[in-house]
Amino acid sequence: MYHETRAADGADPGGAVILGHGVSKLFGGTVVALEGATFTVKPRQFISLVGPSGCGKSTLLRMIAGLIEPSSGSLHVHGDPVGKPRRDVGMMFQRPTLMAWRTVLENVLLPTELVRKVTAADRDHALELIELVGLKDFAYAFPSQLSGGMQQRASLARLLQTGADVLLLDEPFGALDEFTRERLNLELLRIVAQFGRTTLFVTHNIQEAIFLADEVFVMTPRPGRIAGIVEVPFERPRDISLMQTVPFNEMVAEVRGIFDRDNK
Amino acid sequence: MIARGAPGRKPARWMVLLDPVFLRRLATHVLIFTSFIAVWEWAGQTGRLNDLIMPAPSAIAAAIWRMYVVTGEIYWHFFVTMFEAVSGFVIGGVIGLGLAIGAALSLTFRRYVAPYAVALNVTPGIAVTPIFIAWFGFGWNSKIALAALIVFFPIFVNSLSGLLRVDRDTEELMRSLGASKMQTFFKLMLPNAAPMIFAGFKVAITTALVGAIVAEFASATEGIGIMMQRYAHRLDIAASIGVLISMALMGLLLFTLMEVADRRTVFWLRPERLEQVSRKRRRRLMALK
Repeated sequence: MYHETRAADGADPGGAVILGHGVSKLFGGTVVALEGATFTVKPRQFISLVGPSGCGKSTLLRMIAGLIEPSSGSLHVHGDPVGKPRRDVGMMFQRPTLMAWRTVLENVLLPTELVRKVTAADRDHALELIELVGLKDFAYAFPSQLSGGMQQRASLARLLQTGADVLLLDEPFGALDEFTRERLNLELLRIVAQFGRTTLFVTHNIQEAIFLADEVFVMTPRPGRIAGIVEVPFERPRDISLMQTVPFNEMVAEVRGIFDRDNK
Repeated sequence: MIARGAPGRKPARWMVLLDPVFLRRLATHVLIFTSFIAVWEWAGQTGRLNDLIMPAPSAIAAAIWRMYVVTGEIYWHFFVTMFEAVSGFVIGGVIGLGLAIGAALSLTFRRYVAPYAVALNVTPGIAVTPIFIAWFGFGWNSKIALAALIVFFPIFVNSLSGLLRVDRDTEELMRSLGASKMQTFFKLMLPNAAPMIFAGFKVAITTALVGAIVAEFASATEGIGIMMQRYAHRLDIAASIGVLISMALMGLLLFTLMEVADRRTVFWLRPERLEQVSRKRRRRLMALK
């Protein structure tokens, strides 16, 4: 049922991890959620998908995840056409989607548990990930005992436990307060850099999109489409002070310009 | 940063006995109850109440003493009715939960079976008693059958709505992790529905008792319902009320058992239970090979 899990460093270096050509999605035969998306995602790239509600960013993500199928166009992940969820693509949602009856560690172990019997090695790996996301002392706490930010840290650990080399993040910190969100974004950068995974990050915050990404897909609604792709040249590791610099703000203006152009 | 459940020793249960607010409330309760009983007793003793219609508390107490201690006749009847109610609950529960699971997993099943369940519910279950007695006889079986019948609906409806109330994102998460239908059911749908299923169980367990007793009223040779009927026909109201109190006791007993089962199963909705379960889970995970 699953495609073979490939090495975390991507299928063929230099080649594309995700390849979309004219990808469209219609709901109910009439509502165009996404139209003609053509793009390439290279190994280890961090891509932000930014745009207002209804621009098809979540739709695109869910197609890559294999949760829904494109209506037309071609969409390939690691060279295979998308269809079913696969082990090397993992997804994280805006809400923590943790199971209230499982401890943090048990939640993190869920992806493993669905595939095989959990071993002590799996447990130790999960505990390492829990420590990595900063929940060391809460491995045996239940979700109701954690704050919203901590719950999202736990679901990030669960995402990493899947071993997927393509991470799809659907507004993962969108429901959190500004301060928590900023901190988690920084930690996300650190973690993704450490693991060298390919990442697609959906947001409606332009600053956040640019700050995190190597490339920003600017998406506009009615019909949802990719209106422009902006390359982000800033050095890594990045610091929060980057957001105060002139080049950064020029880039924000450029992205905003794409939205304005589209509105006319 | 932690919202709830921070470590810290909770005071022991018995410490409440030292709480002045609790003591004052308790004293008020006792006062109201004893004055009510005292006035009632006084009215009985002075002939202001017809003791054929409304016996005094002392007469009821004497009747209870007789059936529990002197003759001990109540125990067998008590057991019979409890057995009927619990058996009916188990049978109706298995069928109700089973059909709810089928309906939750299959839209077709839901479409063609659920309407009958609703039709069954709008039929007054009690009215089926004569038919059940014709089918299952005068013995325990007809009582068990009636209890099962009226227990079915609350369990079916609660379980079904619990099973269908699954968070869409979490369902997508399970799909993105490649979970099979069985895995999604056992690891997500069923535990997610547990609070609702137990809400149904708690309503149903006392309903089962009603079913068993009503069926006994219709026709039976043993059981607490028939005991009550015999006393009432003899106009022994004191003993009838004694039996009524015993019925309340049965209901309380069954409900409490279910409440305990609920607390143990749906622990994640009881903040006070989390720490204990957490320790248990930790031991289990540490023991992994």
